[in-house]
Amino acid sequence: MDNFYALLEGFSVAMQPIYLLYALGGVLVGTAVGVLPGIGPAMTVALLMPITYSLEPTAAIIVFAGIYYGGMYGGSTTSILLNTPGESASIVTALEGNRMAKAGRGAAALATAAIGSFIAGTIATVLLSFVAPYVAAFAVQIGPVEYVALMVVAFLTVGALLGASVLRGLASLGLGLFLAFMGVDLMTGQQRYTFGSPFLADGIDVVLVAVGLFALGEALYVASRLRHGPVKVIPVTGGWTSWMKKEDWKRSWKPWLRGTFIGFPIGTMPAGGADVATFLSYAAEKKLAKGTHKKQFGRGAIEGVAGPESANNAAAAGVLVPLLTLGIPTTATAAMMLVAFQRYNIQPGPLLFEVEGALVWALIASLYVGNLMLLVLNLPLVGIWVKILQIPRPYLYAGILVFAALGAFSVNFTPVDVFVLLVIGVLGFVMRRYGYPIAPLVVGMILGPIFESQLRRSLAISQGDPLALVSTPIAAGIYISLVVIFVLSFWMKKRQRLMESATLDDESPRGKEVSA
Amino acid sequence: MGSSTTGAVRGGSDAAPVKPLGEIIFAAVILSIGIVGFVAGAGIQTPDSASDIGPRALPYIVSGLLVIVGAGLIVQLLRGKTGEADEGEDIDPDVRTDWLTVAKMAGTVVVHIFLIIPLGWPVAAAVLFFGAAWALGAKPLWRAAAVGVVMALVLQFAFGGLLGVSLPAGVLEGVPFLNG
Repeated sequence: MDNFYALLEGFSVAMQPIYLLYALGGVLVGTAVGVLPGIGPAMTVALLMPITYSLEPTAAIIVFAGIYYGGMYGGSTTSILLNTPGESASIVTALEGNRMAKAGRGAAALATAAIGSFIAGTIATVLLSFVAPYVAAFAVQIGPVEYVALMVVAFLTVGALLGASVLRGLASLGLGLFLAFMGVDLMTGQQRYTFGSPFLADGIDVVLVAVGLFALGEALYVASRLRHGPVKVIPVTGGWTSWMKKEDWKRSWKPWLRGTFIGFPIGTMPAGGADVATFLSYAAEKKLAKGTHKKQFGRGAIEGVAGPESANNAAAAGVLVPLLTLGIPTTATAAMMLVAFQRYNIQPGPLLFEVEGALVWALIASLYVGNLMLLVLNLPLVGIWVKILQIPRPYLYAGILVFAALGAFSVNFTPVDVFVLLVIGVLGFVMRRYGYPIAPLVVGMILGPIFESQLRRSLAISQGDPLALVSTPIAAGIYISLVVIFVLSFWMKKRQRLMESATLDDESPRGKEVSA
Repeated sequence: MGSSTTGAVRGGSDAAPVKPLGEIIFAAVILSIGIVGFVAGAGIQTPDSASDIGPRALPYIVSGLLVIVGAGLIVQLLRGKTGEADEGEDIDPDVRTDWLTVAKMAGTVVVHIFLIIPLGWPVAAAVLFFGAAWALGAKPLWRAAAVGVVMALVLQFAFGGLLGVSLPAGVLEGVPFLNG
């Protein structure tokens, strides 16, 4: 029950008018940027990091929580009305939702996505509130050896499993680790890979890398192959109260709940994030549908929006479990959240609930609040977001460039950082151009230093015996589950490919944006 | 780089007759970063007092990974297995890479970098916005310029003036609310 009181305390903080305002600001910005095509939640957090430098920690964390959830909602609007997903997580939603919109049922698709996201988000946040403290209590007992094992899992799942190409994922991961080593070695004080440059001796700031890859790299890449001509948005008609018919409610509520309970556990595992969850939910709904409803799949079945969209949001909450309790980000967005925490000298991990209890519970409470705000923002106000979708593309990407430059300059207030941003932006462009995933690089760079210190600590304890890394039961268990995850993921990838080629053979949103 | 227009190729197994030169170069860059990692890694000083595996071990492992992966990618590419270019809402899968636009945008960023100190952040930002919008084909140009100026001033006001981010106002130094 202690946790329950702690949560109430959190609410008493989050409900203060000033923090409510910050939460509102966060979800507004998050949704707005989430709606914008090409901008995922990871890029949003990266771009807005400098803006929050002047905020106090609680306010900043509440803003980021709002952005995190808001970005998830915003993405579904884009994918339903534009037929071109902004985040990989909403690809399957794009498929069914967009077909619904084309058939004049866009309003119902938007409504079932928003309500499903709200229900899933709320249930998953409840689960988070009750699961996270127990995971943290367990995590306190594990040592560096287990940490090494967990991080190996995170590296390999994010690096090798999520993308279309294993080698490209590993290359991206390796580049991230290489960048992480640049600068002064924390344990011995030796310079590494600085090539005699005093500028590199401080290492490359992770914000520069993230903004460069996500924002500048994306803008350059889009510029290279911009879709010209007017932006085609499918119009939505009628007042929002009439969007969901009785039939729609009847067909939606079960997928909402199923999506939630598929999404949350998968989100908590370091093995996939929202991508896998949405796909599994979609497959489940397709399998469970009967008769005429089943035939609608691929042509606009409401279950195919309700389930995956809920799974997506539930997974987003699930991802916070390893992030807050173990300090291990399993998606690019979570990695950026970790950086945001670190900026305030808050180290997510087993001790977070003890050391920063008040802050964590305020964060969790603000997730409940933000979720409610998002429901309101997304149903009656959807018209505003549709307007945002229609921003002329030259202005949109020029604006992203300005924000990226602002963010880079505010890191140290030197123009040299903007130059580093440009170099990394070009790297991001080339990576996208040749199908390298971005997320492993960012995760590798952020987790790299933590991984190295835990690995070296483990080996110092064992006096250099590498067998010690697999000799504790928990670590061995983690490695065994890694093997299982590998086998399962290859099986799933095969199925996913089969399904994609079956349902997408005509006019196809082939999106596979791993970076989101 | 860039004789390759592999953008529309899916899965990649349907080999393009032209060797994907750009991709091979990038894979070679990855491989050479790994080699540099070994060479430069040898120069990392290890204090005798170190009780653990020292500051060199992990850089060596990662350099090894980069060499292996880079080499593996080159082999894959020579066999015709090319990468799947990223896709997105605003990406037209059927057009060739427009290098000119990319160069224009990158050039604009360079101009921006050199303008920040002499002319101040707002001017540099307005130039950046205008240059990028122009590169992307914004019309009419005067509107792009106007939007850029307004955006730069609003950002300078919001971040420099209100949030206290130290953005140099440059030529606008002394104007109320704009000082960073």
